[in-house]
Amino acid sequence: MSTATSAGRSSATRRRSTIRRRELFWAAIFLLPALTSLVVLRIVPTIGAVVDSLYKAFPGGIIPATFAGLHNYRSLFDDPNFVDTIARTLIFNLIINPLQICLALLVAVLFVQRIPLVGIWRTMLFIPVTIPIVGSCIAWGAALDPQGPVNALITALGGEPQPFFTSPNQALACIIVLASWIGIGYWMLFLIAGLQSIPGELYDAAKVDQAGPVRTFFSVTLPLLRRPLLFVLVADTVANFVLFVPVQLLTQGGPQGSTTLLMFEAWRTTYGYGSRNLGAAQVVILTAIMLVFVLLQFRLLREDKDNR
Amino acid sequence: MLTTIAIVLGVAFVLPAVWILLGSFRPNLEILTTMSPLSWHTIIPSELTLENYRRLLVDSGFTRALFNSFFVCLVSVVMGLLMSSLAAYAVAVFTFPARNVVFAVIVISFMIPFEAIAIPLAQQFTDWGLGNTYVGLILPGIGNGLAIFNLRQHFLSIPASYREAAMLDGASEPRILFSLYLRLSGPALTNSALLIFLGQWTAYLWPLLIVSDNDLQLAPVALAGTFGEHAADYGQNFAGAVVLSLVPAFSVFVLQRFFGRLSIGSGEK
Repeated sequence: MSTATSAGRSSATRRRSTIRRRELFWAAIFLLPALTSLVVLRIVPTIGAVVDSLYKAFPGGIIPATFAGLHNYRSLFDDPNFVDTIARTLIFNLIINPLQICLALLVAVLFVQRIPLVGIWRTMLFIPVTIPIVGSCIAWGAALDPQGPVNALITALGGEPQPFFTSPNQALACIIVLASWIGIGYWMLFLIAGLQSIPGELYDAAKVDQAGPVRTFFSVTLPLLRRPLLFVLVADTVANFVLFVPVQLLTQGGPQGSTTLLMFEAWRTTYGYGSRNLGAAQVVILTAIMLVFVLLQFRLLREDKDNR
Repeated sequence: MLTTIAIVLGVAFVLPAVWILLGSFRPNLEILTTMSPLSWHTIIPSELTLENYRRLLVDSGFTRALFNSFFVCLVSVVMGLLMSSLAAYAVAVFTFPARNVVFAVIVISFMIPFEAIAIPLAQQFTDWGLGNTYVGLILPGIGNGLAIFNLRQHFLSIPASYREAAMLDGASEPRILFSLYLRLSGPALTNSALLIFLGQWTAYLWPLLIVSDNDLQLAPVALAGTFGEHAADYGQNFAGAVVLSLVPAFSVFVLQRFFGRLSIGSGEK
Protein backbone atom coordinates (compact mmCIF):
# COMPACT_ATOMS: atom_id res chain seq x y z
CA MET A 1 0.00 0.00 0.00
CA SER A 2 2.61 2.52 1.11
CA THR A 3 4.91 1.53 -1.73
CA ALA A 4 2.08 2.08 -4.22
CA THR A 5 1.49 5.67 -2.99
CA SER A 6 5.16 6.56 -3.07
CA ALA A 7 5.44 5.08 -6.56
CA GLY A 8 2.42 7.16 -7.61
CA ARG A 9 3.90 10.29 -6.10
CA SER A 10 7.28 9.81 -7.72
CA SER A 11 5.72 9.19 -11.13
CA ALA A 12 3.72 12.41 -10.67
CA THR A 13 6.92 14.32 -9.83
CA ARG A 14 8.57 12.67 -12.78
CA ARG A 15 5.71 13.73 -15.03
CA ARG A 16 5.90 17.27 -13.68
CA SER A 17 9.63 17.43 -14.26
CA THR A 18 9.20 16.08 -17.81
CA ILE A 19 6.66 18.85 -18.45
CA ARG A 20 9.06 21.36 -17.02
CA ARG A 21 11.95 20.09 -19.13
CA ARG A 22 9.75 20.07 -22.23
CA GLU A 23 8.63 23.65 -21.57
CA LEU A 24 12.21 24.76 -21.04
CA PHE A 25 13.15 23.16 -24.33
CA TRP A 26 10.38 24.91 -26.26
CA ALA A 27 10.95 28.19 -24.44
CA ALA A 28 14.59 28.10 -25.53
CA ILE A 29 13.63 27.42 -29.15
CA PHE A 30 10.89 30.06 -29.22
CA LEU A 31 13.09 32.69 -27.64
CA LEU A 32 16.09 31.95 -29.84
CA PRO A 33 15.23 34.33 -32.74
CA ALA A 34 14.37 37.23 -30.41
CA LEU A 35 17.42 36.72 -28.21
CA THR A 36 19.74 36.32 -31.19
CA SER A 37 18.53 39.51 -32.82
CA LEU A 38 18.70 41.23 -29.46
CA VAL A 39 22.35 40.33 -29.15
CA VAL A 40 23.20 41.14 -32.76
CA LEU A 41 21.10 44.28 -33.17
CA ARG A 42 21.33 45.85 -29.73
CA ILE A 43 24.01 44.45 -27.48
CA VAL A 44 26.84 44.06 -30.00
CA PRO A 45 26.53 47.65 -31.33
CA THR A 46 26.20 49.05 -27.80
CA ILE A 47 29.34 47.24 -26.68
CA GLY A 48 30.96 48.29 -29.94
CA ALA A 49 30.14 51.92 -29.21
CA VAL A 50 31.41 51.69 -25.63
CA VAL A 51 34.68 50.08 -26.78
CA ASP A 52 35.12 52.55 -29.66
CA SER A 53 34.51 55.44 -27.32
CA LEU A 54 37.48 54.35 -25.17
CA TYR A 55 39.91 54.47 -28.09
CA LYS A 56 41.51 57.35 -29.86
CA ALA A 57 42.31 57.56 -33.56
CA PHE A 58 42.96 60.21 -36.15
CA PRO A 59 40.21 60.72 -38.71
CA GLY A 60 41.20 58.81 -41.82
CA GLY A 61 42.40 55.85 -39.81
CA ILE A 62 45.83 54.93 -41.18
CA ILE A 63 47.39 54.82 -37.73
CA PRO A 64 45.71 52.12 -35.60
CA ALA A 65 43.54 53.39 -32.75
CA THR A 66 45.11 53.45 -29.30
CA PHE A 67 43.42 52.94 -25.96
CA ALA A 68 42.65 56.27 -24.41
CA GLY A 69 40.39 55.50 -21.44
CA LEU A 70 37.92 58.26 -20.80
CA HIS A 71 39.83 60.75 -22.91
CA ASN A 72 37.02 61.16 -25.46
CA TYR A 73 34.45 61.85 -22.78
CA ARG A 74 36.75 64.34 -21.08
CA SER A 75 37.42 66.20 -24.30
CA LEU A 76 33.71 66.23 -25.11
CA PHE A 77 32.78 67.77 -21.78
CA ASP A 78 35.69 70.22 -22.06
CA ASP A 79 34.31 71.39 -25.38
CA PRO A 80 31.87 74.24 -24.76
CA ASN A 81 30.11 73.48 -28.06
CA PHE A 82 29.30 69.94 -26.96
CA VAL A 83 28.16 71.09 -23.52
CA ASP A 84 25.92 73.57 -25.35
CA THR A 85 24.56 70.75 -27.50
CA ILE A 86 23.68 68.67 -24.42
CA ALA A 87 22.10 71.70 -22.75
CA ARG A 88 20.20 72.56 -25.94
CA THR A 89 18.93 68.98 -26.28
CA LEU A 90 17.73 68.99 -22.67
CA ILE A 91 16.07 72.42 -22.93
CA PHE A 92 14.49 71.44 -26.24
CA ASN A 93 12.99 68.38 -24.55
CA LEU A 94 11.94 70.31 -21.46
CA ILE A 95 9.95 72.64 -23.70
CA ILE A 96 8.61 70.44 -26.48
CA ASN A 97 7.38 67.48 -24.42
CA PRO A 98 5.26 69.27 -21.79
CA LEU A 99 4.04 71.63 -24.52
CA GLN A 100 2.91 68.83 -26.81
CA ILE A 101 1.29 66.84 -24.03
CA CYS A 102 -0.53 69.88 -22.57
CA LEU A 103 -1.90 70.82 -25.98
CA ALA A 104 -2.74 67.19 -26.75
CA LEU A 105 -4.61 67.01 -23.43
CA LEU A 106 -6.54 70.21 -24.18
CA VAL A 107 -7.65 69.00 -27.60
CA ALA A 108 -8.42 65.54 -26.21
CA VAL A 109 -10.69 67.11 -23.56
CA LEU A 110 -12.29 69.24 -26.27
CA PHE A 111 -12.90 66.29 -28.55
CA VAL A 112 -14.68 64.15 -25.96
CA GLN A 113 -17.33 66.87 -25.51
CA ARG A 114 -20.63 66.72 -27.31
CA ILE A 115 -19.82 68.63 -30.47
CA PRO A 116 -21.50 68.15 -33.85
CA LEU A 117 -19.39 66.09 -36.27
CA VAL A 118 -16.68 65.62 -33.63
CA GLY A 119 -15.21 62.65 -35.51
CA ILE A 120 -14.36 64.84 -38.49
CA TRP A 121 -12.51 67.50 -36.46
CA ARG A 122 -10.67 64.79 -34.61
CA THR A 123 -9.60 63.13 -37.86
CA MET A 124 -8.40 66.50 -39.18
CA LEU A 125 -6.03 66.77 -36.22
CA PHE A 126 -4.79 63.25 -36.84
CA ILE A 127 -4.05 63.77 -40.55
CA PRO A 128 -0.55 65.23 -39.98
CA VAL A 129 0.39 62.00 -38.19
CA THR A 130 -0.19 60.00 -41.37
CA ILE A 131 2.32 62.08 -43.33
CA PRO A 132 5.84 60.64 -43.05
CA ILE A 133 8.16 63.09 -41.37
CA VAL A 134 10.19 63.65 -44.53
CA GLY A 135 7.00 64.90 -46.21
CA SER A 136 6.13 67.14 -43.25
CA CYS A 137 9.62 68.61 -43.27
CA ILE A 138 9.32 69.46 -46.97
CA ALA A 139 5.91 71.04 -46.41
CA TRP A 140 6.99 73.14 -43.43
CA GLY A 141 10.29 74.01 -45.06
CA ALA A 142 8.27 75.46 -47.95
CA ALA A 143 5.59 77.02 -45.74
CA LEU A 144 8.13 78.74 -43.48
CA ASP A 145 10.30 79.93 -46.33
CA PRO A 146 10.94 83.67 -45.81
CA GLN A 147 8.98 84.21 -49.05
CA GLY A 148 6.47 81.51 -48.18
CA PRO A 149 2.76 81.44 -47.34
CA VAL A 150 3.15 81.81 -43.55
CA ASN A 151 4.94 85.12 -44.02
CA ALA A 152 2.31 86.07 -46.58
CA LEU A 153 -0.31 85.44 -43.90
CA ILE A 154 1.63 87.47 -41.32
CA THR A 155 1.96 90.35 -43.79
CA ALA A 156 -1.73 90.15 -44.65
CA LEU A 157 -2.51 90.45 -40.93
CA GLY A 158 -0.26 93.51 -40.76
CA GLY A 159 2.83 91.94 -39.15
CA GLU A 160 6.49 91.94 -40.06
CA PRO A 161 7.78 88.99 -42.15
CA GLN A 162 9.87 86.61 -40.02
CA PRO A 163 13.16 84.87 -40.93
CA PHE A 164 12.07 81.48 -39.43
CA PHE A 165 14.62 78.75 -40.27
CA THR A 166 17.24 81.30 -41.32
CA SER A 167 17.41 82.93 -37.88
CA PRO A 168 19.34 81.40 -34.94
CA ASN A 169 16.62 82.73 -32.64
CA GLN A 170 13.71 81.10 -34.45
CA ALA A 171 14.96 77.92 -36.14
CA LEU A 172 14.59 75.65 -33.10
CA ALA A 173 11.13 77.09 -32.39
CA CYS A 174 10.18 76.27 -35.99
CA ILE A 175 11.28 72.67 -35.44
CA ILE A 176 9.13 72.59 -32.29
CA VAL A 177 6.13 73.81 -34.31
CA LEU A 178 6.74 71.22 -37.01
CA ALA A 179 7.17 68.34 -34.54
CA SER A 180 4.10 69.42 -32.55
CA TRP A 181 1.98 69.63 -35.68
CA ILE A 182 2.56 65.88 -35.89
CA GLY A 183 2.83 65.09 -32.17
CA ILE A 184 -0.34 66.73 -30.85
CA GLY A 185 -2.70 64.65 -32.99
CA TYR A 186 -0.81 61.47 -32.21
CA TRP A 187 -0.73 61.79 -28.42
CA MET A 188 -4.30 63.14 -28.47
CA LEU A 189 -5.46 59.65 -29.49
CA PHE A 190 -3.93 58.02 -26.41
CA LEU A 191 -5.38 60.67 -24.12
CA ILE A 192 -8.83 60.38 -25.68
CA ALA A 193 -8.70 56.65 -24.96
CA GLY A 194 -7.70 57.47 -21.38
CA LEU A 195 -10.48 60.03 -20.99
CA GLN A 196 -13.08 57.64 -22.32
CA SER A 197 -12.12 55.02 -19.76
CA ILE A 198 -13.03 57.38 -16.88
CA PRO A 199 -16.43 56.25 -15.57
CA GLY A 200 -19.25 58.67 -16.33
CA GLU A 201 -20.66 58.40 -12.79
CA LEU A 202 -17.74 60.40 -11.48
CA TYR A 203 -18.74 63.31 -13.68
CA ASP A 204 -22.34 62.94 -12.55
CA ALA A 205 -21.16 63.04 -8.94
CA ALA A 206 -19.15 66.19 -9.68
CA LYS A 207 -22.25 67.74 -11.19
CA VAL A 208 -24.27 66.87 -8.08
CA ASP A 209 -21.59 68.60 -6.01
CA GLN A 210 -22.04 71.61 -8.30
CA ALA A 211 -18.41 71.62 -9.37
CA GLY A 212 -17.72 73.84 -12.40
CA PRO A 213 -15.92 72.56 -15.50
CA VAL A 214 -12.51 73.81 -14.31
CA ARG A 215 -12.95 72.29 -10.86
CA THR A 216 -14.14 69.01 -12.42
CA PHE A 217 -11.13 68.95 -14.71
CA PHE A 218 -8.63 69.41 -11.88
CA SER A 219 -10.26 67.19 -9.28
CA VAL A 220 -11.76 64.39 -11.42
CA THR A 221 -10.18 64.24 -14.88
CA LEU A 222 -6.57 65.06 -14.09
CA PRO A 223 -6.03 62.64 -11.16
CA LEU A 224 -7.64 59.77 -13.05
CA LEU A 225 -5.65 60.54 -16.16
CA ARG A 226 -2.33 60.57 -14.32
CA ARG A 227 -1.05 57.29 -15.69
CA PRO A 228 -1.85 57.73 -19.39
CA LEU A 229 -0.46 61.26 -19.11
CA LEU A 230 2.81 60.04 -17.61
CA PHE A 231 3.03 57.33 -20.24
CA VAL A 232 2.61 59.66 -23.20
CA LEU A 233 4.99 62.18 -21.62
CA VAL A 234 7.74 59.59 -21.29
CA ALA A 235 7.06 58.06 -24.71
CA ASP A 236 7.09 61.51 -26.28
CA THR A 237 10.39 62.32 -24.59
CA VAL A 238 11.92 59.10 -25.88
CA ALA A 239 10.80 59.98 -29.41
CA ASN A 240 11.93 63.60 -29.31
CA PHE A 241 15.35 62.78 -27.88
CA VAL A 242 16.32 61.16 -31.17
CA LEU A 243 14.59 63.71 -33.41
CA PHE A 244 16.83 63.82 -36.45
CA VAL A 245 15.05 64.31 -39.77
CA PRO A 246 14.05 68.02 -39.50
CA VAL A 247 17.52 68.97 -38.34
CA GLN A 248 19.29 67.04 -41.06
CA LEU A 249 16.90 68.03 -43.81
CA LEU A 250 16.09 71.64 -43.00
CA THR A 251 18.80 73.27 -40.91
CA GLN A 252 21.89 71.03 -40.83
CA GLY A 253 22.21 72.04 -37.17
CA GLY A 254 22.36 75.74 -38.00
CA PRO A 255 22.07 78.64 -38.24
CA GLN A 256 25.05 79.17 -35.92
CA GLY A 257 24.55 75.77 -34.30
CA SER A 258 21.17 76.80 -32.91
CA THR A 259 19.45 73.55 -33.90
CA THR A 260 22.30 71.12 -33.22
CA LEU A 261 20.68 68.39 -31.12
CA LEU A 262 22.57 65.42 -29.69
CA MET A 263 21.38 62.84 -32.24
CA PHE A 264 22.36 65.07 -35.16
CA GLU A 265 25.67 65.91 -33.50
CA ALA A 266 26.55 62.20 -33.13
CA TRP A 267 25.73 61.62 -36.79
CA ARG A 268 27.74 64.62 -37.96
CA THR A 269 30.74 63.79 -35.79
CA THR A 270 30.82 60.23 -37.12
CA TYR A 271 30.01 60.73 -40.79
CA GLY A 272 30.60 64.43 -41.42
CA TYR A 273 33.86 64.82 -39.50
CA GLY A 274 34.91 61.18 -39.67
CA SER A 275 35.67 60.91 -35.93
CA ARG A 276 34.35 57.46 -35.24
CA ASN A 277 35.58 57.32 -31.66
CA LEU A 278 34.31 60.71 -30.59
CA GLY A 279 31.00 59.92 -32.30
CA ALA A 280 30.84 56.64 -30.39
CA ALA A 281 31.24 58.50 -27.09
CA GLN A 282 28.33 60.75 -28.07
CA VAL A 283 26.23 57.70 -28.95
CA VAL A 284 26.99 56.17 -25.54
CA ILE A 285 25.90 59.37 -23.77
CA LEU A 286 22.72 59.48 -25.85
CA THR A 287 21.91 55.80 -25.25
CA ALA A 288 22.50 56.16 -21.50
CA ILE A 289 20.01 59.05 -21.32
CA MET A 290 17.50 57.09 -23.43
CA LEU A 291 17.80 54.02 -21.24
CA VAL A 292 16.65 55.97 -18.18
CA PHE A 293 13.50 57.10 -19.99
CA VAL A 294 12.78 53.68 -21.48
CA LEU A 295 13.05 52.03 -18.06
CA LEU A 296 10.53 54.55 -16.77
CA GLN A 297 8.24 53.91 -19.76
CA PHE A 298 8.41 50.14 -19.26
CA ARG A 299 7.46 50.50 -15.60
CA LEU A 300 4.48 52.68 -16.46
CA LEU A 301 3.39 50.35 -19.23
CA ARG A 302 3.53 47.38 -16.94
CA GLU A 303 1.69 48.90 -14.01
CA ASP A 304 -0.86 50.29 -16.39
CA LYS A 305 -1.60 46.83 -17.79
CA ASP A 306 -1.41 44.93 -14.56
CA ASN A 307 -3.81 47.22 -12.79
CA ARG A 308 -6.56 46.58 -15.27
CA MET B 1 -18.41 78.08 -28.84
CA LEU B 2 -16.67 74.72 -28.37
CA THR B 3 -17.73 73.79 -31.88
CA THR B 4 -16.09 76.91 -33.29
CA ILE B 5 -12.82 76.11 -31.51
CA ALA B 6 -12.99 72.52 -32.77
CA ILE B 7 -13.53 73.66 -36.35
CA VAL B 8 -10.77 76.30 -36.22
CA LEU B 9 -8.33 73.75 -34.75
CA GLY B 10 -9.24 71.11 -37.29
CA VAL B 11 -8.84 73.50 -40.20
CA ALA B 12 -5.56 74.89 -38.88
CA PHE B 13 -4.08 71.40 -38.59
CA VAL B 14 -5.32 70.17 -41.90
CA LEU B 15 -4.45 73.27 -43.92
CA PRO B 16 -0.75 72.47 -44.52
CA ALA B 17 -1.76 68.95 -45.58
CA VAL B 18 -4.37 70.32 -47.98
CA TRP B 19 -1.79 72.71 -49.37
CA ILE B 20 0.54 69.75 -50.10
CA LEU B 21 -2.25 67.67 -51.57
CA LEU B 22 -3.57 70.38 -53.89
CA GLY B 23 -0.06 71.59 -54.66
CA SER B 24 0.89 68.15 -55.91
CA PHE B 25 -1.72 68.57 -58.69
CA ARG B 26 -0.66 72.02 -59.85
CA PRO B 27 2.31 73.19 -61.93
CA ASN B 28 5.41 73.83 -59.84
CA LEU B 29 5.69 77.42 -61.05
CA GLU B 30 2.17 78.11 -59.83
CA ILE B 31 3.02 76.90 -56.31
CA LEU B 32 5.99 79.25 -56.23
CA THR B 33 4.21 82.32 -57.61
CA THR B 34 1.10 81.96 -55.44
CA MET B 35 2.98 81.49 -52.14
CA SER B 36 3.06 85.22 -51.50
CA PRO B 37 1.17 87.53 -51.28
CA LEU B 38 -1.67 85.67 -49.68
CA SER B 39 -4.78 85.14 -51.78
CA TRP B 40 -7.23 82.35 -52.24
CA HIS B 41 -4.95 81.12 -55.04
CA THR B 42 -2.34 80.24 -52.40
CA ILE B 43 -4.44 77.17 -51.65
CA ILE B 44 -6.82 76.80 -54.59
CA PRO B 45 -5.18 75.81 -57.88
CA SER B 46 -6.21 77.54 -61.09
CA GLU B 47 -4.86 74.69 -63.19
CA LEU B 48 -4.78 70.96 -62.43
CA THR B 49 -2.13 68.63 -63.80
CA LEU B 50 -0.68 65.17 -63.22
CA GLU B 51 2.68 66.34 -64.48
CA ASN B 52 4.28 66.23 -61.00
CA TYR B 53 3.25 62.60 -60.54
CA ARG B 54 4.42 61.72 -64.02
CA ARG B 55 7.84 63.22 -63.40
CA LEU B 56 8.05 61.64 -59.95
CA LEU B 57 6.97 58.13 -60.87
CA VAL B 58 8.24 57.85 -64.46
CA ASP B 59 11.29 60.08 -64.80
CA SER B 60 12.91 59.85 -61.37
CA GLY B 61 14.02 56.75 -59.52
CA PHE B 62 11.19 57.13 -57.01
CA THR B 63 9.15 54.18 -58.28
CA ARG B 64 12.10 51.91 -57.71
CA ALA B 65 12.51 53.34 -54.19
CA LEU B 66 8.81 52.78 -53.51
CA PHE B 67 9.15 49.18 -54.57
CA ASN B 68 12.17 48.77 -52.27
CA SER B 69 10.24 50.27 -49.36
CA PHE B 70 7.30 47.96 -49.99
CA PHE B 71 9.48 44.91 -50.17
CA VAL B 72 11.44 45.81 -47.04
CA CYS B 73 8.22 46.54 -45.11
CA LEU B 74 6.49 43.31 -46.09
CA VAL B 75 9.43 41.07 -45.27
CA SER B 76 9.98 42.95 -41.99
CA VAL B 77 6.35 42.52 -40.96
CA VAL B 78 6.38 38.78 -41.68
CA MET B 79 9.70 38.18 -39.93
CA GLY B 80 8.88 40.58 -37.12
CA LEU B 81 5.50 39.03 -36.37
CA LEU B 82 7.03 35.56 -36.41
CA MET B 83 9.83 36.51 -34.05
CA SER B 84 7.58 38.56 -31.77
CA SER B 85 4.85 35.96 -31.44
CA LEU B 86 7.35 33.18 -30.74
CA ALA B 87 8.97 35.27 -28.00
CA ALA B 88 5.66 36.53 -26.64
CA TYR B 89 4.26 33.00 -26.49
CA ALA B 90 7.34 31.76 -24.65
CA VAL B 91 7.13 34.43 -21.93
CA ALA B 92 3.34 34.27 -21.68
CA VAL B 93 2.79 30.52 -21.56
CA PHE B 94 5.85 28.62 -20.39
CA THR B 95 7.22 28.65 -16.89
CA PHE B 96 10.97 28.78 -16.72
CA PRO B 97 13.51 30.43 -14.43
CA ALA B 98 13.94 34.20 -14.73
CA ARG B 99 11.00 34.45 -17.10
CA ASN B 100 10.08 38.00 -16.14
CA VAL B 101 13.67 39.13 -16.37
CA VAL B 102 13.94 37.71 -19.89
CA PHE B 103 10.71 39.47 -20.83
CA ALA B 104 11.82 42.81 -19.37
CA VAL B 105 15.23 42.63 -21.03
CA ILE B 106 13.73 41.88 -24.46
CA VAL B 107 11.08 44.60 -24.30
CA ILE B 108 13.35 47.27 -22.84
CA SER B 109 16.15 46.68 -25.32
CA PHE B 110 13.77 46.81 -28.25
CA MET B 111 12.11 49.91 -26.87
CA ILE B 112 15.27 51.99 -26.93
CA PRO B 113 14.73 53.93 -30.14
CA PHE B 114 16.68 52.25 -32.79
CA GLU B 115 18.11 55.60 -33.93
CA ALA B 116 20.14 55.87 -30.73
CA ILE B 117 22.40 52.95 -31.66
CA ALA B 118 21.95 53.15 -35.44
CA ILE B 119 25.41 54.64 -35.97
CA PRO B 120 27.48 51.87 -34.29
CA LEU B 121 25.14 49.24 -35.74
CA ALA B 122 25.66 50.62 -39.24
CA GLN B 123 29.41 50.33 -38.74
CA GLN B 124 29.03 46.68 -37.63
CA PHE B 125 26.74 45.89 -40.56
CA THR B 126 29.18 47.43 -43.01
CA ASP B 127 32.01 45.35 -41.49
CA TRP B 128 29.86 42.23 -41.94
CA GLY B 129 29.25 43.06 -45.59
CA LEU B 130 25.58 43.92 -45.06
CA GLY B 131 25.88 47.45 -46.39
CA ASN B 132 23.83 47.97 -49.56
CA THR B 133 21.78 44.77 -49.10
CA TYR B 134 18.11 44.12 -48.45
CA VAL B 135 19.09 41.97 -45.46
CA GLY B 136 20.87 44.97 -43.99
CA LEU B 137 17.79 47.13 -44.51
CA ILE B 138 15.33 44.60 -43.12
CA LEU B 139 16.98 43.09 -40.03
CA PRO B 140 17.02 46.08 -37.65
CA GLY B 141 13.33 46.76 -38.27
CA ILE B 142 11.96 43.39 -37.15
CA GLY B 143 12.45 43.85 -33.41
CA ASN B 144 9.85 46.07 -31.78
CA GLY B 145 9.48 46.15 -28.01
CA LEU B 146 5.87 47.28 -28.01
CA ALA B 147 4.91 44.63 -30.56
CA ILE B 148 6.26 41.90 -28.29
CA PHE B 149 4.66 43.55 -25.26
CA ASN B 150 1.24 43.77 -26.89
CA LEU B 151 1.28 40.18 -28.09
CA ARG B 152 2.40 38.83 -24.72
CA GLN B 153 -0.31 40.83 -23.02
CA HIS B 154 -2.88 39.42 -25.39
CA PHE B 155 -1.64 35.84 -25.06
CA LEU B 156 -1.96 36.12 -21.27
CA SER B 157 -5.66 36.87 -21.73
CA ILE B 158 -6.27 33.58 -23.58
CA PRO B 159 -7.48 30.98 -21.05
CA ALA B 160 -4.89 28.31 -20.25
CA SER B 161 -7.60 25.65 -20.60
CA TYR B 162 -7.60 26.15 -24.39
CA ARG B 163 -3.95 25.19 -24.50
CA GLU B 164 -4.44 22.22 -22.19
CA ALA B 165 -7.27 20.95 -24.37
CA ALA B 166 -5.13 21.26 -27.48
CA MET B 167 -2.32 19.40 -25.74
CA LEU B 168 -4.65 16.55 -24.85
CA ASP B 169 -5.45 16.36 -28.56
CA GLY B 170 -1.73 15.86 -29.11
CA ALA B 171 -0.99 19.28 -30.61
CA SER B 172 2.65 20.36 -30.44
CA GLU B 173 3.65 23.79 -29.08
CA PRO B 174 4.25 25.36 -32.51
CA ARG B 175 0.88 24.06 -33.59
CA ILE B 176 -0.86 25.52 -30.54
CA LEU B 177 0.76 28.87 -31.23
CA PHE B 178 0.03 29.00 -34.94
CA SER B 179 -3.37 27.42 -35.17
CA LEU B 180 -4.83 28.41 -31.80
CA TYR B 181 -3.20 31.48 -30.25
CA LEU B 182 -2.55 33.46 -33.42
CA ARG B 183 -6.07 32.83 -34.66
CA LEU B 184 -7.40 34.41 -31.49
CA SER B 185 -5.08 37.40 -31.73
CA GLY B 186 -6.39 39.41 -34.70
CA PRO B 187 -6.31 42.95 -33.27
CA ALA B 188 -3.07 42.39 -31.38
CA LEU B 189 -1.45 41.16 -34.60
CA THR B 190 -2.80 44.16 -36.53
CA ASN B 191 -1.34 46.45 -33.90
CA SER B 192 2.05 44.79 -33.95
CA ALA B 193 2.15 44.52 -37.74
CA LEU B 194 1.34 48.20 -38.00
CA LEU B 195 4.07 49.15 -35.54
CA ILE B 196 6.65 47.20 -37.53
CA PHE B 197 5.32 48.39 -40.88
CA LEU B 198 5.26 52.07 -39.97
CA GLY B 199 8.66 51.84 -38.34
CA GLN B 200 10.13 50.59 -41.60
CA TRP B 201 8.01 52.75 -43.90
CA THR B 202 9.09 55.97 -42.22
CA ALA B 203 12.69 54.86 -41.54
CA TYR B 204 15.07 57.55 -42.61
CA LEU B 205 18.30 57.50 -40.63
CA TRP B 206 18.98 53.78 -41.07
CA PRO B 207 18.67 53.57 -44.88
CA LEU B 208 20.68 56.78 -45.05
CA LEU B 209 23.51 55.09 -43.14
CA ILE B 210 23.45 51.62 -44.64
CA VAL B 211 22.65 52.22 -48.32
CA SER B 212 24.68 54.26 -50.77
CA ASP B 213 23.51 52.48 -53.91
CA ASN B 214 20.60 54.43 -55.45
CA ASP B 215 18.93 51.27 -56.76
CA LEU B 216 18.47 50.04 -53.20
CA GLN B 217 17.39 53.29 -51.62
CA LEU B 218 14.10 53.53 -49.73
CA ALA B 219 11.36 56.03 -50.54
CA PRO B 220 11.79 58.55 -47.67
CA VAL B 221 15.50 58.99 -48.36
CA ALA B 222 14.86 59.17 -52.10
CA LEU B 223 12.25 61.86 -51.50
CA ALA B 224 14.59 63.82 -49.24
CA GLY B 225 17.24 63.48 -51.96
CA THR B 226 15.04 65.16 -54.56
CA PHE B 227 14.24 67.88 -51.99
CA GLY B 228 17.92 68.72 -51.62
CA GLU B 229 18.80 68.53 -55.32
CA HIS B 230 16.23 70.84 -56.86
CA ALA B 231 15.20 72.86 -53.86
CA ALA B 232 12.45 74.65 -55.74
CA ASP B 233 10.69 71.65 -57.30
CA TYR B 234 7.89 71.70 -54.74
CA GLY B 235 5.42 70.13 -57.17
CA GLN B 236 7.39 66.92 -57.33
CA ASN B 237 8.26 67.00 -53.61
CA PHE B 238 4.60 67.42 -52.67
CA ALA B 239 3.59 64.58 -54.98
CA GLY B 240 6.18 62.37 -53.26
CA ALA B 241 4.89 63.35 -49.83
CA VAL B 242 1.33 62.50 -50.90
CA VAL B 243 2.36 59.09 -52.24
CA LEU B 244 4.32 58.34 -49.05
CA SER B 245 1.33 59.31 -46.89
CA LEU B 246 -1.24 57.29 -48.80
CA VAL B 247 0.52 54.01 -48.17
CA PRO B 248 0.25 54.03 -44.33
CA ALA B 249 -3.43 54.97 -44.56
CA PHE B 250 -4.01 52.22 -47.09
CA SER B 251 -2.05 49.65 -45.08
CA VAL B 252 -4.07 50.34 -41.93
CA PHE B 253 -7.13 49.52 -43.99
CA VAL B 254 -5.66 46.33 -45.48
CA LEU B 255 -4.26 45.11 -42.15
CA GLN B 256 -7.63 45.60 -40.48
CA ARG B 257 -9.27 43.56 -43.19
CA PHE B 258 -6.65 40.89 -42.78
CA PHE B 259 -6.28 40.58 -39.01
CA GLY B 260 -9.20 42.47 -37.50
CA ARG B 261 -9.89 45.83 -35.97
CA LEU B 262 -7.21 47.94 -34.47
CA SER B 263 -7.37 48.76 -30.82
CA ILE B 264 -5.68 51.83 -29.49
CA GLY B 265 -5.43 51.59 -25.74
CA SER B 266 -3.69 53.85 -23.28
CA GLY B 267 -0.47 51.84 -23.31
CA GLU B 268 -0.45 50.57 -26.84
CA LYS B 269 1.12 52.41 -29.68
